[in-house]
Amino acid sequence: MSCNPERVTAYVDGALDAAHCPELEAHLAACPECRAQVEAERELRARLKALPAPAPAPELEKRVRASLRPRRSAASWLLPLAAGLVALLAWARGATPFVAWELSRDHDHCFSRRHLPAEVWSSDPARIAEWLEGRGTSVPVIPEAAGGLELVGARYCGLPDRRVAHLYYTNGEHRLSLFLVPGPVRDTSRETRPRGNFVRLLRVGGTTVGLVSEEEESVEAFRRALSTTLAWDLGRVDRPAR
Amino acid sequence: MRPAGLSREERFEAEALPHLKALYGTAYRMTRNAQDAEDLVQETFLRAYRAFDGYTSGTNIRAWLHTILYRVRTDAFRRAGRSPRTVELDGDGPAVAAPQDALASGGEDLVRALDGLPESFRVAVVLRDVQELTYEEIARVLGVPIGTVMSRIHRGRALMRAALGGRKP
Repeated sequence: MSCNPERVTAYVDGALDAAHCPELEAHLAACPECRAQVEAERELRARLKALPAPAPAPELEKRVRASLRPRRSAASWLLPLAAGLVALLAWARGATPFVAWELSRDHDHCFSRRHLPAEVWSSDPARIAEWLEGRGTSVPVIPEAAGGLELVGARYCGLPDRRVAHLYYTNGEHRLSLFLVPGPVRDTSRETRPRGNFVRLLRVGGTTVGLVSEEEESVEAFRRALSTTLAWDLGRVDRPAR
Repeated sequence: MRPAGLSREERFEAEALPHLKALYGTAYRMTRNAQDAEDLVQETFLRAYRAFDGYTSGTNIRAWLHTILYRVRTDAFRRAGRSPRTVELDGDGPAVAAPQDALASGGEDLVRALDGLPESFRVAVVLRDVQELTYEEIARVLGVPIGTVMSRIHRGRALMRAALGGRKP
């Protein structure tokens, strides 16, 4: 084999295919000039490898990161914005004015019909509770009557964001809606008057109860009744007199 | 190989940005000028970011970034109406480069010899001896056959040895 300096370079770099290695190594053993090339290239490689790397200005990385940012911006601000909107919607959904307004609207809607659109008719709270519980609603102790208004029936009503149990109380002249509201409702202690109705949201035994009526006295009578339901319920239990 | 749960941006920053210094090193040897090198690197990362979906995770990202660096460089030459690849070897020794590197003593002659190489040889030598890319990777970066890579490295080293006072190439 005659001298092939390019192959010697590839040999130094470990890039010579295995088939040519024995041939070249045999040649190296016999050729001082090519051996010198191997030595010289190895030394040059070592010196180049040891050369201090030119350091970029510290601002370069910042500039590079900044130049990527406009491309990231859509994702980086749209995502938090969307998350914020979702959180805001979730927050608004549980806001008392929002819930109260929807209940008030539903109260007007049902009682404005010529016939009440009840799905179950009964004046017995136990019967109504049984019907609702059979459909997955947990029902607190509910009054049979209060303020002269009596239970007549119930149904489910669809609000924009949830399904509520709607219980109808009336005496023919006045009427009151008692809603069992699932899902988040904040600040149930507040009184509101959306759409001209009196609305009161209460927590009764872990359930949110909404009271809606045109008459403030009716709402107040049911609020009192509900706040004493526990005692009222116990009172129904026959106990031996002491 | 792809880390789960990271966005494209986060993966790019985690995988590509650590090679900024290496890219700058090559860019500086290419341009022999800090300002041009910085511009080159910035444009390279911008293009790499756009093309990041085409990068196969787990392969040599430094080689991939160098491919883009070289393309940015040649595009700039094309716009300027010349190419670094047209330089061919003749008997003349390397040109004298401006001594712009602040190096430890003993490195100046080496840098001068490197900077004096025609760019096509200089880039091949830097990719091999400084960046430690394989011949296959260098062939892909430069878009030339492996035989050409071998030839450029050989001739680049021979010119440097001559410049450093060794025997003639």
